[in-house]
Amino acid sequence: MKSVKKHSLVNKIIYLSLTFLLFLNFNVSGQTGNYDKGKQLFNVNCAACHKLDKKLIGPALANITDKRSKEWLHAWIKDNNALRASGDADANALFKEYNGMPMMQYPQFTAQDIDDILAYTSGKPKEIAQNTAVAKVDPKVAEGKQLFQANCAACHKLDKKLIGPALANITDKRSKEWLHAWITDNNALRASGDADANALFKEYNGMPMMPFPQLSADDIDKILAYTSYVEVKADVTQSKDSNLAKPKASTAWMSIVLGLVLLLVIVWIFVKSNNGFLKIAATIFLLFGIAYLGFGALFQVGIDTDYQPIQPIQFSHKIHSGDNKIDCQYCHSSAKHSKTSGIPSLNVCMNCHKSISEYNGPVTSDKDKAFYDGEIQKVYDAIGWDKDNTAYKPNFEQVPVKWILVHNLADFAYFNHSQHVTVAGVTCQTCHGPVETMEEVKQFSKLTMGWCIECHKTTEVKMKGNGYYNNIHDQLSKKYGIEKVTEAQMGGQECGKCHY
Amino acid sequence: MKHIFNIAILALLAISLSFCSRDNRTRNVRYMASTDMYTPVSYETYGTNPNYTNGLDAQAPVPGTIFRGEVPYEIANTEEGYQLALKTLKSPLEVNDANLANGKAMYTIYCTSCHGDKGDGQGVLMQREKFLGIPNYKDRAITEGSIYHVIMYGRNMMGSHASQLTDKERWEIVQYVQKLRTDLLK
Ligand code: HEC
Ligand code: HEC
Ligand code: HEC
Ligand code: HEC
Ligand code: HEC
Ligand code: HEC
Ligand code: HEC
Repeated sequence: MKSVKKHSLVNKIIYLSLTFLLFLNFNVSGQTGNYDKGKQLFNVNCAACHKLDKKLIGPALANITDKRSKEWLHAWIKDNNALRASGDADANALFKEYNGMPMMQYPQFTAQDIDDILAYTSGKPKEIAQNTAVAKVDPKVAEGKQLFQANCAACHKLDKKLIGPALANITDKRSKEWLHAWITDNNALRASGDADANALFKEYNGMPMMPFPQLSADDIDKILAYTSYVEVKADVTQSKDSNLAKPKASTAWMSIVLGLVLLLVIVWIFVKSNNGFLKIAATIFLLFGIAYLGFGALFQVGIDTDYQPIQPIQFSHKIHSGDNKIDCQYCHSSAKHSKTSGIPSLNVCMNCHKSISEYNGPVTSDKDKAFYDGEIQKVYDAIGWDKDNTAYKPNFEQVPVKWILVHNLADFAYFNHSQHVTVAGVTCQTCHGPVETMEEVKQFSKLTMGWCIECHKTTEVKMKGNGYYNNIHDQLSKKYGIEKVTEAQMGGQECGKCHY
Repeated sequence: MKHIFNIAILALLAISLSFCSRDNRTRNVRYMASTDMYTPVSYETYGTNPNYTNGLDAQAPVPGTIFRGEVPYEIANTEEGYQLALKTLKSPLEVNDANLANGKAMYTIYCTSCHGDKGDGQGVLMQREKFLGIPNYKDRAITEGSIYHVIMYGRNMMGSHASQLTDKERWEIVQYVQKLRTDLLK
């Protein structure tokens, strides 16, 4: 008896602690998981094949927890092969739907890791959304925005009529009570004989709005707070960019005015004045002026500094090489081996743009997100990429993009990129200027013969570490009695090097 | 006498006006631009060419041919091909400093924006959340064969980088990736 009792006491403690543990355990796995950690894990492990909102190689994963049970998801992510082998119908159907494309196994993940990932796929927890999405703003507005986007945005915009009317500052137009009644159940409001409600219904041709009985009064207040809130569009980057985009204030008008005044004075001297000296002086001045301007104009012939044609796709070097630090030679990959630098073919663009289908960087007043998205779409149209199904369109005949050549030497002059980029180690920017700051490329240097020769006269040849120069260097340094050799001394101004 | 001056004044005006109209969207006047001294008679790299049906000078190599200096790659772009490369493909290059140095230079141009300079998957595009899902090399069971295969054909969301690199450069990059991976695994 005693022993039994003792036993049961031990048992009780064990059971108690077990339930406690179970409870704890339940608590742990029942907790929502860490959004930020989940995001990290997702970005590193899953984002190659999954996006939240779009199908990529695997299905879209936003709110996947609504579709599948938690156990199933844990089993699938840990080892989807095993799950399929166990005869799970969903797993096998999915596998078939994706043409037998296997997903990777993640046995190394702990249950916590997977919970974190699932927390990420279920979207931002509210606290986080508040202080990142709409920073420095009443939390109500941020939540209202979410509610608005989830429930209303399909038919309403703030600033534009969509299917329903624009809703910005709707509280100025209607009373709060009316709005609450309308949003909760507009049918009931109309049935009660409300004049405004019925007029509105007629204005929109009897197109009914959905009732939202599920929204609490608090929710509706939040949405209304959002509609009254005016987003301050003065982003720091934005205003800076628009400053950059503006052309510099021109001082040309001053010289024009000055020129005209001079001209008038001269005309006056010839027509009205009888002073011989003034006439002679004016004649000399006129001749020199004409000569100066005339030669100036002639020297412009064939020189295209600042030439900046309108390209078929507004490809921004600032965004690619400036903001995102993509190396010039990633795209201009033949510069290292050949005469031409080459313009990348579209398959190179697709290395990134299979995944990057929209633009989310800073925008300026005249170029908004829609503009940039449209430019990316042009790439897809040319190569035949269907961004909704993330696949190339079958039997599509590609259309080449007709880029307009900016830099173009005359045919009688020979210029070779690899000689300058690989052998001499000259950076692209020395000749092409700060391309990584240009929205659109323009010609930076004059590309005249004088420009080439000037650089050859002043640039030393890098002889160290280049086996080809071992002998030449000794001979040349003996010939000129110097240690360092410029390109001109090596023959960089002999006509035949560039003209043949 | 007066006539000459009148003409001169007009010329002056005309010339100064011609300066005002210079805009940078069109090319400047080019003397003799239509002669073969300036515009080549031969077809240019990216020009048009009426002899081909798609009108372009740049054509893909004829199937079954390779261009000079290139080494044909016979393993297929399939999952089986990947496994075959993983297990059997070996590098023809010896490991030395020169190869590693050029491998590093090429890696820096072509791979760092995604994979990061250490190969830990933290390239600029990943950090700016433009392109996601780039693995850390140490988390993948890769061999020199599979790395070469991935450069040739790409894998999942990574695209092929074959067109930007010569055969030797690809193997040099492979060597450098192997080095990064051993460093990461330490
Ligand atoms: C190599 C590409 C790839 C990677 C990496 C990948 N997946 Fe998948 N995933 C797929 C494919 C393809 C499917 C569709 C099923 C199939 O074909 O096996 C899928 C299906 C799924 C499903 C089921 C979706 C549904 O609609 O039921 C979930 C959940 C999932 N993946 C989660 C993850 C998570 C979490 C990660 C990261 C730890 C991940 N996947 C990494 C390719 C991938
Ligand atoms: C993402 C690919 C990409 C990168 C990276 C890139 N470019 Fe370009 N580049 C292009 C494309 C496409 C064009 C043709 C369209 C144009 O002229 O705007 C071009 C055009 C040019 C031109 C004008 C060519 C002509 O028609 O004469 C120059 C010069 C140039 N790039 C230099 C650079 C330099 C210098 C860098 C590095 C700072 C760089 N590019 C980085 C894709 C790229
Ligand atoms: C020494 C000066 C110099 C350097 C350095 C230089 N370029 Fe050029 N680039 C030129 C000249 C000159 C042309 C015009 C060539 C012609 O028309 O034959 C040109 C033309 C181009 C073109 C137009 C297409 C072509 O090949 O004709 C591109 C693109 C280009 N350069 C990109 C680059 C990139 C990228 C780099 C750096 C890797 C670079 N350049 C380095 C002088 C230079
Ligand atoms: C190494 C990756 C990479 C490559 C290669 C690449 N892009 Fe991009 N592209 C980007 C990124 C990153 C953005 C900016 C996306 C953002 O900020 O949300 C972008 C944005 C764009 C945009 C919109 C902004 C703009 O420049 O007008 C266009 C158009 C575009 N790319 C065209 C191209 C074309 C054409 C090519 C091939 C010559 C190309 N891209 C190659 C990464 C790349
Ligand atoms: C930024 C300075 C710079 C500019 C501008 C420049 N070059 Fe050069 N160039 C060099 C250097 C440095 C070398 C020596 C490379 C070497 O080590 O062989 C060189 C070498 C050459 C060579 C080979 C000469 C030889 O001895 O075999 C030719 C041809 C050439 N340049 C043509 C041109 C032409 C044409 C232009 C103008 C369109 C031009 N270069 C503009 C720096 C420049
Ligand atoms: C470093 C390369 C280089 C060398 C060396 C060189 N040139 Fe040139 N030359 C050029 C380039 C580039 C142009 C084209 C300039 C332009 O289009 O504005 C040019 C243009 C010319 C022109 C003008 C043609 C025209 O109709 O515009 C003449 C004439 C000429 N060169 C003669 C010579 C002679 C003579 C020598 C030897 C003393 C020589 N060049 C050496 C690069 C060179
Ligand atoms: C545009 C971004 C991007 C660039 C540039 C890029 N990669 Fe990748 N790489 C990826 C992505 C995404 C994956 C993951 C693919 C997957 O899901 O298996 C990957 C995976 C890999 C893998 C592992 C594949 C495997 O067998 O599991 C290797 C090796 C690799 N890359 C090498 C390279 C090398 C070498 C370069 C430079 C020539 C390069 N990558 C350039 C995006 C990129």
